[in-house]
Amino acid sequence: MNKKDTQNLEQKRYIRSRWFEDIPVGEFHVFGSHTFSEKEIIEFGTKYAPEAYHTDPQAAFDTPHRGIVASGFHVAAIWMKLMVSYMERFADGVQDGRRNGAGIGVEDMVWFHPVRPGHTLTYTYEIIAKPEKIIRDKWGIIRSRNEAFNQYNERVFSFEIDILAERNPNPDAACKRELMDNPR
Amino acid sequence: MRYWHHCKEGETYHTDQITLSERDIFEFAAEFDPQPYHLDREAGDNSIFGGLCASGWQVCALMMRLLTDTFKNNDIVLIGVQGVPSMRWKIPVFAGDSLSGDIEVASLQHSSDRDDSGLMICDVKVKNQKNEYVIALQASLYVAHSAQASL
Repeated sequence: MNKKDTQNLEQKRYIRSRWFEDIPVGEFHVFGSHTFSEKEIIEFGTKYAPEAYHTDPQAAFDTPHRGIVASGFHVAAIWMKLMVSYMERFADGVQDGRRNGAGIGVEDMVWFHPVRPGHTLTYTYEIIAKPEKIIRDKWGIIRSRNEAFNQYNERVFSFEIDILAERNPNPDAACKRELMDNPR
Repeated sequence: MRYWHHCKEGETYHTDQITLSERDIFEFAAEFDPQPYHLDREAGDNSIFGGLCASGWQVCALMMRLLTDTFKNNDIVLIGVQGVPSMRWKIPVFAGDSLSGDIEVASLQHSSDRDDSGLMICDVKVKNQKNEYVIALQASLYVAHSAQASL
């Protein structure tokens, strides 16, 4: 492995394994894209939102949506899928914890445009706040604004979410330095 | 059929019940949320949740299923979901839990972006078999104005 690769790997480990204190407000990531197939839209709709406009391509033409569209919570579930995948890429050797905190709540979730078969959404997140609150002695809250854009660059989906991140039990330690010196 | 102008603020609808198996949890997690505490019992036991539990997004999806079925049973024509102004995951959902919900009509508003429907803002609470709330949310729903809209 050359020096550049080693640096990249260390940077990736660092992103996944950061403590609450090390995650900066303003950080922005374009973290993944997904193309919605008709098959998966129908599968999700049949299980969780059985309306003609999610399940039946023919009958869907006779609804106000004029064709099949993805369930809003399908669009949200794909956000989770891409987020986990993105974090996993940074996870080499990092054990459970820290960024693996639970989501606690969502604000202002809006679906602006329909997502149709063949549409490709690209998802982004930005860290917008770190509310001053400590949960169960060791978790802090990371608030992010998340958006998804379709292939026409229309914003189709947006929400804010609060996710727990573990606080550094030893906040004075130079966490970043330590990780760089002793990558897990 | 019941259309937007038939609905009244303060009305409450009670949903059916859905029971979630361990397999259901694994299947959803494998596709959408493959984190250890949704896929592995031991990892679940050692996590903040204290046991293997369903993805929060699976709980949301099941809420949508309960809501969709309830509106159908009450002949209310649902055109779509405009948004979720707020939502809280309160406690984890474990394998074997049975979920059901109460949907209260908080307000009815005109829609600025759809002619075919009005907005129904609902307070939705989903509880488990022990009557503990697992999620609570507001949902802003498009409800059809007339049979024309559902065509």
